[in-house]
Amino acid sequence: MSKYIPVIGLEVHCELKSNSKNFSSASNGEGEVNTNLSVVDIGYPGILPVVNKEAVRKSLMVALALNCEIPEKLSFDRKNYYYPDLPKGYQITQFGNPIGINGYVMIDVDGVEKKISIHDTHLEEDTANMEHLSNYSLIDYNRAGRPLLETVTEPCINSSKEAILYLEALRNIFLYLDVSDARADMGQIRVDVNVSLKRPEDKELGTRVEMKNINSFTTVKEAIEAEIKRQTEILESDGVIEQETRRYDEVNKCTKFLRGKVDAIDYKYYREPNLPEIKLTDNFVDSIKKNMPILEYERKKRYINEYGISNIDAGTLTKDKKLSDYFEDIIINDVNPKETANVIVGFLLGYLNKNNMHIENVEILPKDFGEIIKMMTDGKISNKQVKDIFTKSLNEKKNPLVIAKEMGSQISDKEEIRKIVIEVFKDNPKVVEDYKNGKNVTGFIMGLLMKKTSGKINPGVTNMVLREELEKL
Amino acid sequence: MVNDMTKEELKMLANKLMFEMDDKEYETLLSEFDITLKQMELIGKIKDIDKVSPMTYPFDLELSDSCLREDISNNEISFDDMKINVKDYEDNKVKLPKVVE
Amino acid sequence: MTDKLIDEIRDKMAKNEVTSDMLFDEAVSLGNKYQSDYNSFVTILEKKEEEEGNSKLSGIPYVLKDNISTKGILTTASSNILKDYIPLYDATVYEKLKKAGAVLVGKTVLDELAMGGTGTTGHTGIVRNPWDKNRMAGGSSSGSVSSVALGIVPFAIGSDTGDSIRKPASYCGVVGYKPTYGRVSRYGLFAFTSSLDHVGVIARSVRDVSYVMDVIKGHDEKDMTSLPDEDIKYEDYLENSVKGKKLFYINEALNIKTDNDNLKEIIKNFENTIDKCRELGMEVEKVDFGMDLLEAIYPVYNVISCAEATSNNSNLTGIPFGSRVEGKNVNDIMMKTRTEGFSELIKRRFVIGSYVLQKENQEKLFLNASRARRLIVDRMNELFKKYDGLIMPATEDIAPLFDKASDKLSDEYLILGNHLVLANFGGFPSITIPSGFVKDMPVGVNITGRAKEDYLVLNIANKLEGTLGYKGQVKNNE
Repeated sequence: MSKYIPVIGLEVHCELKSNSKNFSSASNGEGEVNTNLSVVDIGYPGILPVVNKEAVRKSLMVALALNCEIPEKLSFDRKNYYYPDLPKGYQITQFGNPIGINGYVMIDVDGVEKKISIHDTHLEEDTANMEHLSNYSLIDYNRAGRPLLETVTEPCINSSKEAILYLEALRNIFLYLDVSDARADMGQIRVDVNVSLKRPEDKELGTRVEMKNINSFTTVKEAIEAEIKRQTEILESDGVIEQETRRYDEVNKCTKFLRGKVDAIDYKYYREPNLPEIKLTDNFVDSIKKNMPILEYERKKRYINEYGISNIDAGTLTKDKKLSDYFEDIIINDVNPKETANVIVGFLLGYLNKNNMHIENVEILPKDFGEIIKMMTDGKISNKQVKDIFTKSLNEKKNPLVIAKEMGSQISDKEEIRKIVIEVFKDNPKVVEDYKNGKNVTGFIMGLLMKKTSGKINPGVTNMVLREELEKL
Repeated sequence: MVNDMTKEELKMLANKLMFEMDDKEYETLLSEFDITLKQMELIGKIKDIDKVSPMTYPFDLELSDSCLREDISNNEISFDDMKINVKDYEDNKVKLPKVVE
Repeated sequence: MTDKLIDEIRDKMAKNEVTSDMLFDEAVSLGNKYQSDYNSFVTILEKKEEEEGNSKLSGIPYVLKDNISTKGILTTASSNILKDYIPLYDATVYEKLKKAGAVLVGKTVLDELAMGGTGTTGHTGIVRNPWDKNRMAGGSSSGSVSSVALGIVPFAIGSDTGDSIRKPASYCGVVGYKPTYGRVSRYGLFAFTSSLDHVGVIARSVRDVSYVMDVIKGHDEKDMTSLPDEDIKYEDYLENSVKGKKLFYINEALNIKTDNDNLKEIIKNFENTIDKCRELGMEVEKVDFGMDLLEAIYPVYNVISCAEATSNNSNLTGIPFGSRVEGKNVNDIMMKTRTEGFSELIKRRFVIGSYVLQKENQEKLFLNASRARRLIVDRMNELFKKYDGLIMPATEDIAPLFDKASDKLSDEYLILGNHLVLANFGGFPSITIPSGFVKDMPVGVNITGRAKEDYLVLNIANKLEGTLGYKGQVKNNE
């Protein structure tokens, strides 16, 4: 155990889904380079911003899900700096009066609940996308002006593990609320991390070092660990941590100096005069509250309390929103939730894992999935058969109901087959005689069995039973 | 507030705003700062000024969420339109030399 | 014909004695004729735009200040940094005028980026006063005002952040109107100080101003600060009786000792104007405003306008538009573009604006200025509980000679030189109308009313105009 406690704060930028951009009507969607454009987002002289209701609605949903206090009035500020990806020369953001403050998220650290305090969540606009080539740069303005929600924690995270648990919980909030696709690999989630170290007896926090724009959770973890290591080494050798911005070098697995405190930019925040204060009426906020989708922890609670699913299985199901959605779509047709959970956790996830698949790749319709479970709960098929049906269905991309039907009309029961085999022995004494004389009669008897059952007999099981019976002769 | 600004500081301020100024302009600017800061010092002495909330808008427009824009998209310009004012571009993107040396 | 009032022109059009094509040609030819002497224009259109609508302004030629966005038409803000800029969209005010059938003749010179009051800082040269070429037209709506005063067009659109319509209107002997904040959409007006900027009208009568206002006012979904629509037409209120209306003037501004003969004459002119008000049945009283607040007006304006201007003009870097000067890297491009693109005066304003917004200074400078702004506006609103309007001489002097005035910040303080910005602080409707002459140069009177009561300010101004006798005044230099 190190003698230093890491203190970590995270700032997570999340691109919100909407039809149009935050302050203009340009499309907030995918598109060819420089096609989602409005004069507002290019920052031409004379343009004015107009706030997107949907972006506000989604931000409020997140603020509520984060247990934040909501301001009476909405207002925006300008953050001023010069960079070619910021066409107006300022970013419209919320500095003084964010859309949510003083919230929290609960995370489960090895079975112990921990509260991660949220300083604020605020609505702002994204910058243009820049491509840096060997000796020049190119700008695509499609991203400029997209609604971006930045959620800032208090410095209350004490390990890379907690950081990742928090990030996963936050991402799930975005996904459960359906406010963003929250794909870090697509740049829809970007994380700024700040790290400082302190000794247990220290009252004050140590000097913090910031790392900006990390776009994968794995990298966040590595960056935190690398930075903890670097700072520990400095402190161990009686050095001083400088307040600075660093970047994580993924190749060399270490953080590198970017700029120091003296080069820190004064953003000269001030109230955006083109956007008046906008009262958030009770009506508006209440309608959002009323229509809030159920969040991860609420689903989990329901799975445990109402369906009797185990804590672990409920956690596994809800951790992945798409998986949980699939589960919900199955049980909506009166399918036993607990049995369904058992099949999903006990079989399906293992299959997916082994085959490097995700729930999205599963082509079995939830309704069909449910039918099979029902057959099981009705005692028509065994648990083993359920697994066989799904395995075959997934392997061959074949409808499980068709497979079940085929299997159902097949004679697969060992004892039933044994009876038929014995009958065939009785009816064909010559063949039995031939076998006893050392002749290979297996193929011939199989033919007789097929003929007798019009081909409905399960060849695998029959083969096995036949061998057993022959040995008994 | 005492005006102890130097030309160098003003130069730095100008450079942060992405421009250079004529050398002689800094003298004028120093005297302008002198005036402004003196005047603002007087304003700072207005009784209870610190209790007043700063004014951004000429008056309260009394807007509520109903004035927010409905989320309908419309791409009003194309990159072809933009080209008339763009000095250099490549593959429908605005082209610039490297951001940093 | 273009030197006549709108009703007279419409009358001739109704009788088919004149067509909009003829009016356009006349305005263009006058514009060209006066250009070398007075320099009102950045651009004079070669071809008349297609006429669209039908209104009182149908076929009436007009000009726009060159800081108003016109799709496909050069718009420079009279700054080198935008000397080749072609907007991709129309300002709402331009769109409305087009839809009303008004005919754009050209784009007029302003003080660079509207940041100045002299008409001498535009990138295409100085604008001269129609009444005396050795004097300034004032600014920043210099070309808009001079083209109306010269009879080139019956009305013009300008912008007013401190006094940029109303002061030059006074210097050039025409009517200048700054409506209530938000009454006319700012969408497409190049921002200088967003919280003080207004689009307004210059014309030769209060009635003509009202006609234009009735077309350009209204809520705009592209401008969140624009006011809801009113269900009225200002022209319907013009002739209402103003009997019993109460006006005040600021005692401290007029109760002064001065050696300036012009100022003495202006005060005399003002007293005469007050008499006319009383003849109309209005009450006029002097009020002690409070010297500490009056002295705060100028620094408050200075600090707020510089601060907002710095931010508003950060988009001018030469990257997606603007006169890019090449450099070895991006910083170098921005640096050179802005260094060459802005005049030194503008840069000084930006440095001041940036300084007052800095984290360590913002509280004492920008925010204290914003607090003083509220105190001043609160005082105005308190007075507006008792009075319907503020009446003041528009300026402290006649249009200055070119070698006299400067745009340097000064510590010389004259309330009469700065009171017009009171209307910008509180978004109050404010109008300047000609009230006579001093040394053969026009002077004006200003009336400022309660926010949102544009109709009343226009009503009072119209009645007063009727008794002053300068309606339709033109300096015809043919």
